[in-house]
Amino acid sequence: MADGASGAAERSVQVKLVLLGEAAVGKSSVVLRFVSNEFQANKEPTIGAAFLTQKCRLEDRVLRYEIWDTAGQERFHSLAPMYYRNAQAAVVVYDVTKASSLEKAKTWVKELQRQANPNIVIALAGNKVDLVQPSSSSSGAATPETEDEADDATATPGENAGAAGSEPETLRQVPREEAEAYAQEAGLLFFETSAKTGDGIVEMFTEIAKKIPIDQILASSRGTGRPGAAGGRTGAGQEGVNLDENAGKGKEACNC
Amino acid sequence: MSTISTQLRNFKEPTKEQLTQLFFALPPPLDPLEGEKSDVDQLEKMEISAVLVLQDEQSWPGKLYLYPPYLAFASLDRKSTRFTVPLSTIRRVERLNARAGVYALSLSLWHGVKIVVQLTSLRPTADLFCSLLRDSLKVELTRGRMKSVKSFVKSCYSEVLVMTAENEEKDGAAAKAEDGGPANESIYHGGLGLKFKFPGDPKKLREASKTKLWTNYLRAHGRNLTLLRYPQCTRLVQVGLPNRLRGEMWETLSGSLYLRYENPGYYERLLEENSGRVNTSTEEIEKDLHRSLPEYSAYQSEEGIASLRRVLQAYSFKNPETGYCQAMNILAAAILIYMSEEQAFWLLEVICGRLLPGYYSPSMHGTLLDQRVFESLVQRCLPIIHDYFQQVDVQLSVASLPWFLSLFINSMPMVFAFRIIDCFFCMGPRVLFQVGLAILKINGEELLRIQDDGGFIQLMRRYFATLGDSAHPNSSDPRARAITRFQELLLVSFREFAIITDDTILTERRKYRSEIISSIESFSKRSAIRNLRTLARFSKDQAGLIYDALFKAICIAPPTSVAFPPPSLLTTKDNAEERPETRIELKTFKVFLSEICTWARDEKIVRNGFQQRIDREVADHELIDRLFFFWDISYRGALSFQALDLVSGLDGVMFNDLMENIEWFFNLHDKNKDGYLTKDEVLTLSESLLFIFRYEIGDAYLGAVSRFMSNAFEYGDALLPRPEDANTDDDTPPQIESNQPYMNLATFRMVVLADEILESFFESDFSSTFRLQPVPLELPSSNSGLLGGLWHNITSDDNRKIFNSFTDQIGRTIGKHQVYHRPAIGKYTTLEEPKARESLLTPTMRPAAEGSPKDPSSPSSTSSVSPSSSSQLGAEPSATMTPLTPMPSMFQAAAQAAAYMERTPFAIDDAKDEDEDTEDESGFEDDGVLDEVDAFLEEHDTGLTEAEREVAKGLLLIL
Ligand SMILES: Nc1nc2c(ncn2[C@@H]2O[C@H](COP(=O)(O)OP(=O)(O)OP(=O)(O)O)[C@@H](O)[C@H]2O)c(=O)[nH]1
Ligand SMILES: [Mg+2]
Repeated sequence: MADGASGAAERSVQVKLVLLGEAAVGKSSVVLRFVSNEFQANKEPTIGAAFLTQKCRLEDRVLRYEIWDTAGQERFHSLAPMYYRNAQAAVVVYDVTKASSLEKAKTWVKELQRQANPNIVIALAGNKVDLVQPSSSSSGAATPETEDEADDATATPGENAGAAGSEPETLRQVPREEAEAYAQEAGLLFFETSAKTGDGIVEMFTEIAKKIPIDQILASSRGTGRPGAAGGRTGAGQEGVNLDENAGKGKEACNC
Repeated sequence: MSTISTQLRNFKEPTKEQLTQLFFALPPPLDPLEGEKSDVDQLEKMEISAVLVLQDEQSWPGKLYLYPPYLAFASLDRKSTRFTVPLSTIRRVERLNARAGVYALSLSLWHGVKIVVQLTSLRPTADLFCSLLRDSLKVELTRGRMKSVKSFVKSCYSEVLVMTAENEEKDGAAAKAEDGGPANESIYHGGLGLKFKFPGDPKKLREASKTKLWTNYLRAHGRNLTLLRYPQCTRLVQVGLPNRLRGEMWETLSGSLYLRYENPGYYERLLEENSGRVNTSTEEIEKDLHRSLPEYSAYQSEEGIASLRRVLQAYSFKNPETGYCQAMNILAAAILIYMSEEQAFWLLEVICGRLLPGYYSPSMHGTLLDQRVFESLVQRCLPIIHDYFQQVDVQLSVASLPWFLSLFINSMPMVFAFRIIDCFFCMGPRVLFQVGLAILKINGEELLRIQDDGGFIQLMRRYFATLGDSAHPNSSDPRARAITRFQELLLVSFREFAIITDDTILTERRKYRSEIISSIESFSKRSAIRNLRTLARFSKDQAGLIYDALFKAICIAPPTSVAFPPPSLLTTKDNAEERPETRIELKTFKVFLSEICTWARDEKIVRNGFQQRIDREVADHELIDRLFFFWDISYRGALSFQALDLVSGLDGVMFNDLMENIEWFFNLHDKNKDGYLTKDEVLTLSESLLFIFRYEIGDAYLGAVSRFMSNAFEYGDALLPRPEDANTDDDTPPQIESNQPYMNLATFRMVVLADEILESFFESDFSSTFRLQPVPLELPSSNSGLLGGLWHNITSDDNRKIFNSFTDQIGRTIGKHQVYHRPAIGKYTTLEEPKARESLLTPTMRPAAEGSPKDPSSPSSTSSVSPSSSSQLGAEPSATMTPLTPMPSMFQAAAQAAAYMERTPFAIDDAKDEDEDTEDESGFEDDGVLDEVDAFLEEHDTGLTEAEREVAKGLLLIL
């Protein structure tokens, strides 16, 4: 996959970001949109996790996202700590056309707030808004900015297919206000996004970037060479697949 | 996870016989789609040393196994030569001339191949083997299995290959024109690749020459049901199976072929019976159908999607507890390219059940376990890489987990993944470990430069993308240049990591299993607690103890449907929060409550001179049922942890003060919740009290309850509203039906407070009968430590029973056997009417009992954990328990096994452990006891079987 940052000479701050959320809400698609500005109608489910990187430019500096895109199925849940340990940011994704996915998102948020790096910046993303926006995604009016008309026909297999054109609002199961209120209450950034049209995606990653305490990361990485390793191994129990949720709370977790 | 699964605990190490069955891929006994039970199960199994003799006089010593209805052979190294053939393919058995004492059999198989085996055991053993073989063959004949071979082999492509070759040989070019092919082709099973093309360039894959080599092999050494596997077979597999033959060879090599052979029509029937039905997996499968190898053309067509859907659904219906796991879609999609749905269905069964056990289960314990095993193999074989990873904090699994979970299909170009899969089916799961190690080894230098998980993944990705390149691009030798990186990978895998055998994997899995299980369990415990909407007034730790008690209860009395939610949950999708969750019924609840609540269990303290133990049983009483329904506020007939029934239930009773307790107790008995107890309910309530007090020492409580009853009816009658309107002849208390509202809370309160004992009961004693204490849960003991074996002996339930009853009998014989019930409250220890119970207490126990004014239960119980690890609440510190504490319990947590073995259950030793006031503690004299035991062992027939005696004796010696 495109890795625009790998060869870059300029020193950028590395930020580890993890994506969590129910299966098929579009985590991988969101990442793919962000990293290579593409959309694939049928993405294979993520097995374990995928890893991608992308740079993000703020006014004063460049940030290099190391993105861990995890598997959404419930039974992969126990693997998640392995990926969110040491993460400085998380995007918890749900699908605006599926109420249960917000519930799942809430449990992820809860878990992150209790188990992950205490300074973690969390964003809640209601994905697939294209399906509930009357203007877009109806077959006639393809959105201008992307080259994926070809995808439109098959973009939404399964349950969402068909209905998209005529009465899109009926597909919405999670009102924006409800999710937004929850996000506010839980102290999360909130966005509605569409990996398909690109709506809200770059914006989201930029806002996250702004909220990351970059100076701290720089400070800590100056000491150790990279941000994640400050704590190092905390014990023998950390080998292999790590179910120990406290793994995320290495030493670097307290450097706030 | 909202379901609580105790399934992992049910794991049993396979027996030797099962291991043999697994090794030879012998199909398990018929699954009850049709309940047919054959006499095959009754037939005796036997194994015998034998030498397989080939035509070229080469011979392979090994072992021959008769496991009806199969005959199997493996050479001593377990890999060079082997076969598994159904008895029904044996057409003829001859005893060869016994020259020079050689006992040899010649077996003619369906495909015309002859196997000659020399039985090298003593003659009677060989004779026995032959007669068992004869019997088994007869049974197969009568079952009509011989006939099914013919039609079955028609479904195999190998038959077409061989037949075409034979025809060509017979009449040269004419055969081609005559075309025996198409007729057969319509029958044999094949995959989507036949229509949608196979991945890869056939020329580059050298399909033609591979096919030729295989055709020769299959002609000479049998095929499908009768394939004999010689070293050449493995070599041919390692260079890659030809596409058209691939599916069938996968079946044959993995043994899924036998399942298909044994269960004709099963797949279709399964689909038929479940057509139109949905289960918990249906939606998940649907989501992923279009997300399975989407770049392969068949999966852009409805035909391919439909096949995939059917196979995955059929699997989920056959294995509802596994259901569907992401990655299975990719596996299924991959194998369907090469095989028919039915073939794929059975192969999936073998992959998920035998080859990768537990990989796709809801807890994915198999995946986690094998990742742990892989890690340990890396540590052992590639210590430098392992150490470096530790140093820079890189986790192996971030890259390796998907390798194992999707058999490399997701990680490397498909053509290469399929070649690894070829080897995987031929040589078993160790291949994944070997290839994994080889990948790391080949990339060793670069791996030592990575800085983090991300770098690791990227390096791997780059490597996989170049597998097709030359491994030695700069070599001057063109032959070396021609070797691809993929070939290099296989070479390293099988040459340098040949040390990794099936046994290695089995041993390593055994080693880490309990570690993995505990981490999974504690993980799901933490998430269960985290996901509680509220902890009520409990701390997180306390909620954890409630969870533990529930978990134990579920282990002991599994709810009827732990694995799957009840049918109502299968269909309702309306409510987002309606996720499947574990609910317990009354029977499990009783066990649960008995863990937490002292009056919900019957505890007998038994001393027999060797040990003091507590036999705990779950109590049974209407009060407990009542409590269950009282807590079941949503009227489901089941309680759940997540839905807070249990937490709020306990919360409602454990934090009460005097008045709240009285009210709670009142409400518990006010069934229709009208604010009044009926006379019947007053009686029931009294019975409840009596039940709670049943083992209290002395008669104080008995007196209190009887005073309560008389007061209740006195006050009750007095306070009854005089019927004014109804002008019955007055002044006598109005008659009231026993099921009519009779007593309100205020009256009840008054009655209770009138009695000192009841008042103090409701004030504090009652709440303290609920105790959250650490619940020890033994893991399946897979400890391989020194004591592993011994511990195993003693921890098995049966052995404990044997041991207990054995020592009890000795105790009785030597007059040291005593039993008494432990009271639920235990407040009164001085007997008010000592005579009644005097006999139960020996003089030595008296001071003991007196020393524990408050809380004689708690950490001493057989099922509670040692004081050191206790973090109890509600219970008094163990100091007050001294008199009863010194009992080392027989069954403490496995973690304490070793320590336990040294600490003996002898009372005398306990006395030693006891630092303070020891003298009068040891009621039992050291000297003499052992002599008595010896005498007992010699003379007394304990009624135990010889074997049991041995176990018990062994145990005594350990002590
Ligand atoms: N209409 C629409 N479809 C989307 C959008 N994002 C994803 N999808 C579709 O939803 C399906 C799932 O997308 P993925 O990105 O694979 O979902 P995921 O969350 O990564 O799924 P897992 O890896 O299984 O956890 C795919 O078929 C996508 O094409 C979106 O913004 N709009
Ligand atoms: Mg994904």
